[in-house]
Amino acid sequence: MPTLGTYKLQVQEKLLQVARLVNKCFKTQMPNIKLQSSDGETFEVDVEIAKCSVTIKTMLEDLGMDDEEEEVVPLPNVNSAILRKVIQWATYHKDDPPPPEDDENKEKRTDDISSWDADFLKVDQGTLFELILAANYLDIKGLLDVTCKTVANMIKGKAPEEIRKTFNIKNDFTASEEEQVRKENEWCEEK
Amino acid sequence: MSSISAQGVVERASAELSKRINGLGLRSGKHHSTKGSVMERVTNVFCGGGGNSAAAVAAPPEKPSRLLPSKSTKNSSVVAKKQRPAPSYLSWDQLMADERFLTRFFLYFSACERCVLAQVCTRWRDVLYKSPRYWSGLMPVLQCREMRDSQGNEKARLYSSLLRRGFHSLCLMGASDEDALDLVNTFPLASKHIHTLSLRCSSISDRGLESLLDHLQALYELELAGCNEITEAGLWACLNPRIVSLTLTDCINVADEAVGAVAQLLPALYEFSLQAYHVTDAALGYFSPKQSNSLNVLRLHSCWEITNHGVVNIVHSLPNLTVLSLSGCSKITDDGVELIAENLQKLRSLDLSWCPRITDAALEYIACDLNQLEELTLDRCVHITDIGIGYISTMLSLASLYLRWCSQIRDFGLQHLCGMRNLQILSLAGSYSFVYFGGWHLQLFHCRLSLDNIQWSIKSDPASAYERTRTNELSGGVKRVIRLLEGTPPALPRDRIKTHSLSTCYI
Repeated sequence: MPTLGTYKLQVQEKLLQVARLVNKCFKTQMPNIKLQSSDGETFEVDVEIAKCSVTIKTMLEDLGMDDEEEEVVPLPNVNSAILRKVIQWATYHKDDPPPPEDDENKEKRTDDISSWDADFLKVDQGTLFELILAANYLDIKGLLDVTCKTVANMIKGKAPEEIRKTFNIKNDFTASEEEQVRKENEWCEEK
Repeated sequence: MSSISAQGVVERASAELSKRINGLGLRSGKHHSTKGSVMERVTNVFCGGGGNSAAAVAAPPEKPSRLLPSKSTKNSSVVAKKQRPAPSYLSWDQLMADERFLTRFFLYFSACERCVLAQVCTRWRDVLYKSPRYWSGLMPVLQCREMRDSQGNEKARLYSSLLRRGFHSLCLMGASDEDALDLVNTFPLASKHIHTLSLRCSSISDRGLESLLDHLQALYELELAGCNEITEAGLWACLNPRIVSLTLTDCINVADEAVGAVAQLLPALYEFSLQAYHVTDAALGYFSPKQSNSLNVLRLHSCWEITNHGVVNIVHSLPNLTVLSLSGCSKITDDGVELIAENLQKLRSLDLSWCPRITDAALEYIACDLNQLEELTLDRCVHITDIGIGYISTMLSLASLYLRWCSQIRDFGLQHLCGMRNLQILSLAGSYSFVYFGGWHLQLFHCRLSLDNIQWSIKSDPASAYERTRTNELSGGVKRVIRLLEGTPPALPRDRIKTHSLSTCYI
């Protein structure tokens, strides 16, 4: 049987432990996390901002918040220049309302890019494509949406050959197939 | 005594903690931490695990979810991970072939633009052809002269690609009787899948039309445009009661008898569009009582012979019309419009464009009686003035108003329109009298609330409107307005202008 004194001490110790744990949990409600780019640069970001990426959000949920403060999420497919842009975009848009559910059948407008996004995306083509890749990988719907709109506007009105060139796509039609697909599509009109 | 107080301490502490923990539990409930929830960790501490959660494994079996050993929680997270598609990184080449990405990406294009995309590579073609939704709004137009040179199997491939893309409509351009027979022979599935047929600029005869319509057993929509070999007797012979929508345009032999055939043979007709110079007032009296229920949409385009007597026949035989167009029926006067307004109370859309005898009086009748009207087209009604616009401005249900080339309308008339809350489309193309938008832009800034839903005649924000390839749709006057908007007066924040979805301008 423990004496009363040791019992009290034990209780105090437990309470302290609990208090520390609770404190920590509160602290980790709005912490920063570190994202590490492919070239080793780390970026400290508010968790809520990082979570606009469904990929990162899922990763955090699956792995749980680590006990150590110095958590680093490695993003081996995104280099620092692109990651910086992505974070810049996510920070600007952090208070946006969630995007409406897609109507899978409806043609989406491409002429409604906000002026901030338009300025943000005034980058060379390579950077734009890398932003699409990053947005697709990180699963950031809003960023993917606006970059796709920008690219769609780039190729609207272009001939198939120009589109292939822009996107570096190989023409894998045979000559007769190409003629066939040309007819199938040039012989279409709006009702 | 002291043992009671020790217990009291613990009880108080746990009460305090549970308050905070309840709050925590809610928040932490969102992420299923592999380390266990806060509750779990706190319980572990309380149960005297000595900081070692593994010691708490000897858990009461009733609450397995709370006290799972850390090992098995890890396992469950692995399962959870498997359920979600693991985030995988795609290179550019992979992305350009990734079906999930492409199906979304192609949504940023119109059906017409997708026709170009389908020609980029086989992957894009296959993804696009898979979904009929990408092709709605388009109709395949077969150039019959060019088709004649192609092999039988090429034609078969073409037809099967049409079915693959979910087309139910077909247009034959420049078709002869041979082409019609060829289609019957080489496209057997058309009998089930083609619902809409359009013959344009074709030398097809009555015989060819008959065999086509015999073959197309699912057809309910027919258009004949510029088919000068088709006779009225042919229409008597081949029109069948399945047809609910018929368009006859620019066919030289079509006159009153053709309308007689339509009235007699098509009891379920819902929509009838006719453009024939020689149709007279008498033809409009042929419609049967059956059709007076079913026929909702009547368009008579450039039927020059039609007078107010024809309008009398229309309002008597077809009282249920919801859409009426008399565009280019230039003999119609204000009296005819009065008849329409008094008798066709269900009208939602009225087109009186190119009816130059119409004056402000007609607009008064319309404004007084047609309470359900949503769309009014008055293009080229050159006698309309600001007074008539004043009448129209009282029509609260009106959503679309077309006043193209109404040369007498001035800024004063437009001021009236600024109060129309439901107006969504206002087209003023070619109205030269306010090409400088006199005091109108000032008006615009003062009335911004009432202009909320108006679609100005340019798409998107001004900067990109300039870049759009369709800028040939914009007139000088419209560009001036864009410049004014670019000036961003404080009363009209730039962002709001952008949110107005702007419709196309027809110039």
